[in-house]
Amino acid sequence: MIKTNLKIGFRNIIKNKGFFALNAGGLIIGLTAVLLISLWVHSELSFNRSLTNYDKIASVMQNVTHGEEIRSTTGQPMQLAPVLRDEYGSHFKYVVTSARSRNYNVRYNENNIMIRGRFAEPDLANLLDLNMITGSRSALKDVSSVLISKGTAKNIFGNADPMGKIIRISNKMDVEVAGIYEDLPKNSNFDELNFIAPWELLKKTDNYENRLAWGNYWFQVYVQLNGENRLNDVSSLIEDVTKNNYIEMTREHKLFLFPISKWHLYSKFENGISVGGKIEYVTIFSIIGIFILLLACINFMNLSTAHALNRGKEVGVRKTLGSSRKQLVLQFFIESFMIILFSFAIALLLAFLLLPQFNILTLKDISIPFETVSFWGISFVLVFTTAILSSLYPSIYLSAFRPVKVLKGLSSNNKTAVSLRKGLVVVQFAISSILIIGTLTVVSQINHAKDRPLGFNKDLIVSVRINNSKVRQSFETIKSELLASTYVDQVTASDVKVTSAYTTNGGDFEWKNKDPNIEAEFYTIRATEGFGEMIDWKILEGRDFSPNFPSDSLAFLVNETAVKYMNLENPVGEYVRWGDNGNYKIIGVVEDMVTRSPFDPITPSLFILHNGRFLNWVNVKIASNSANAVQGALDKMKTVFQKHNPENLFNYSFLDDEYKRKFNDEQRIAKLIAIFSIVAIFISCLGVLGLSTYMAIQRKKEIGIRKVLGASIHSIWQLLSKQFIMLVVVSLLIAIPIGYFFSSQWLMKYSYRINISFWIFALAGGIILGITLLTVSFQAIKAALTNPVESLKTE
Amino acid sequence: MLLKLNNASRVVKSGGKKITLLDDINLNVEEGEFISLMGPSGSGKSTLLNCIGMLDNFTEGSYTFLDDAVDRMKEKQRAKLYKEYIGFVFQAYHLIDELTVYENIETPLLYKNVKSSERKALVADALDRFNIVGKKDLFPTQLSGGQQQLVGVARALIGKPKLILADEPTGNLNSKQSEEIMELFSALNNEGVTIIQATHSETNASYGSRIINLLDGSIITD
Repeated sequence: MIKTNLKIGFRNIIKNKGFFALNAGGLIIGLTAVLLISLWVHSELSFNRSLTNYDKIASVMQNVTHGEEIRSTTGQPMQLAPVLRDEYGSHFKYVVTSARSRNYNVRYNENNIMIRGRFAEPDLANLLDLNMITGSRSALKDVSSVLISKGTAKNIFGNADPMGKIIRISNKMDVEVAGIYEDLPKNSNFDELNFIAPWELLKKTDNYENRLAWGNYWFQVYVQLNGENRLNDVSSLIEDVTKNNYIEMTREHKLFLFPISKWHLYSKFENGISVGGKIEYVTIFSIIGIFILLLACINFMNLSTAHALNRGKEVGVRKTLGSSRKQLVLQFFIESFMIILFSFAIALLLAFLLLPQFNILTLKDISIPFETVSFWGISFVLVFTTAILSSLYPSIYLSAFRPVKVLKGLSSNNKTAVSLRKGLVVVQFAISSILIIGTLTVVSQINHAKDRPLGFNKDLIVSVRINNSKVRQSFETIKSELLASTYVDQVTASDVKVTSAYTTNGGDFEWKNKDPNIEAEFYTIRATEGFGEMIDWKILEGRDFSPNFPSDSLAFLVNETAVKYMNLENPVGEYVRWGDNGNYKIIGVVEDMVTRSPFDPITPSLFILHNGRFLNWVNVKIASNSANAVQGALDKMKTVFQKHNPENLFNYSFLDDEYKRKFNDEQRIAKLIAIFSIVAIFISCLGVLGLSTYMAIQRKKEIGIRKVLGASIHSIWQLLSKQFIMLVVVSLLIAIPIGYFFSSQWLMKYSYRINISFWIFALAGGIILGITLLTVSFQAIKAALTNPVESLKTE
Repeated sequence: MLLKLNNASRVVKSGGKKITLLDDINLNVEEGEFISLMGPSGSGKSTLLNCIGMLDNFTEGSYTFLDDAVDRMKEKQRAKLYKEYIGFVFQAYHLIDELTVYENIETPLLYKNVKSSERKALVADALDRFNIVGKKDLFPTQLSGGQQQLVGVARALIGKPKLILADEPTGNLNSKQSEEIMELFSALNNEGVTIIQATHSETNASYGSRIINLLDGSIITD
């Protein structure tokens, strides 16, 4: 019986190629999208999971109370780990202090490269369960050794044996390669751990012991729990370690353990509580995935029940020949299952082919895990769910035909089936509309932030980071050598790039009429004279720093937000006492500038004049934007920096590129949502095309008669399109509130955001309506143009 | 006695009005009879055939088939009964377009769960008997009307039914083809198969052993 069913299935596919193409086409596209989304979601959910001690690793974080607000940070003082080991050692297998992962200059002979790595205590190797290729994990106990990853070994030494070779980190620390480990999984927080160097070496070289106390949160502390210790228990146990040891503490500090399972997806904290993070996108895309699967299934159902008109006779005959209903259900189910299986195979192939592009778009390194049992298990569940969702109803519907009726040639299109089909189309349109509304919201939010007035000019400014304090000393020489080039307009130094201010100072600011209850905090930017002119800031009151006023070394320029924050009516001329640093005079007010994320509110900021010999960044304004000038200036910079700083690579970045990068995350999301919306719309269109085709067939006789009676093509088009327009309108009524809800939820996380305006809904409605009309008209006009003699003859 | 109808009626509602399709039919059919139902269009011939064939139900009265009360049966039992004992022949042949001649004839056997080897033998016999061995791999659309109806009859007979119900079996055929089909029916009847056919044609009716005239749902002569 199954063999016969398969055979009939094949013949039906061949006979109804168009129907099959519509049905399978929608499914293939839908399943491809669902596969890609599932792979992405799986990759996000399995982040860090491949690390051996996944369920035991945590980082020690702290909640620090700043006035009303609690801030959470992974930063810890270097004094913490020893205390944890001494007093709570039995709860931990390992406690590891590590400097933050960052780019280091690594030199071997004449080769210089920039790679990310860490200085950490030796147990980091055990905590991460490094898979050593040669050497031993314990080698790190020797302060003159280093462990490097396999990739780094190849990068630096090519095919030569790295063991025992000496490399120099940051131009000051010589270490010997004492071990090589397999690269850590890409889908983890340690994917860029290219080397681990001894923590004690860094501590000694930078003289931390004498400089850093409990108040410096420069480092990270990772722990691995011992045996059966539960994270929450240990977490509350160590809560007050900082409080008990940090004598001069003014703010409240509470320690807690943050498990590795939450690092990636739940990294956002608000008032000391983890409130999500990337998990939001996992949710959004899971929902989109389910939506798309639903769309594809609905399509299948709709087309199959509509197509059932052609199968009515067959059902009737089979029933009179003695087929039971069960047998018919099985037959139709098998036919559908064949189409679904075929579509899944093609979708798998498509997903495989599209994966490289998808990886570029999502910045992932996903591959299809063909070799795992769970992949095939999940695929089976996907295929089976699709089959149940999409073909159970049509099978039952078809098998319920009454033979006497269908054999008489009566229309078997009962009213419930028709209204169900309409209901499903409404669901399809609604889902598509919601996705369009989402896309429009994300895109307009991005444009909104892009159009935000920056308050400064970011064009043609190149920044170079100087890590070496000796090189910083020669800033004035570097400056004059650079200015000798006609391509260079201005040269300044600053402690941060103006697009990414991150230094905050607080706690000890006092000024006239200050509310004694607030613990004032400001972002600070230190720069040399001429910095304001270079970035073209707008002075609203007072004046810029000037060499004519030697007293400017104790002066602030403040931004508008700071003026409001300080509640000063005439800020210029007021004095601000900054702890032991002195009494600073406010000499000017600058227009607000976006010095951090374009989505965040402007923060109160202070600008301080500083000597270039102590600042990290050298900024160069290029004279003109001609390719010649840009290249000339970069060449000049390369010569000058290599002369003064021969041991470091010449690395530079353009400020406007830097700024563009701030939109990367949002832009990626926008692209993904847009792509999936297009998929959703396309699937819905296939459905509408199919339905309108059947509608046209079904009403062929009616259309023929109407034409004989003198109906115009236009009136027939109207007749056939009208009901679809009604469906679109109903679906928009459903989609708008839902779309509004989701969009406003998403926008909540931005403080600088758009108000969702009417035009987003209008545009979404217009797009859906337009596309539907286009699709329906194709069939409607075809039907209207048919010669009535043809359509009436066949009856 | 093959079947017996007692005061059997079929009344349906259409647009709020009751329409009587069959009115108080009393009929006994013995095994081996060849009955022709006659009467103008709308007189209830097809309805009566459908009801006897259990595709439709009588709404009143009783229907006994081989001593079983059909009107009290569940759908499943009824299906089992007609699968076993009844074969249909239609005016429009109603062959399944997607299946070949061979497969069309084979289909009832599939639903009866006949074993593969036995099916082959039975279908081969039928093809042989109806002289259509050469056409077995063709699809219905590739055959003439007469040939299609031949396949239809072969299909109705393959399950060895006791009763054949034929609704205007020659309605779409020319006179020569009609004659062939009617000859076939006679021969079958001689082998003991009971036949009830609905027909407009006096010639066709004359092949039968008994003629029943219907008008407006009632039997007027028997």
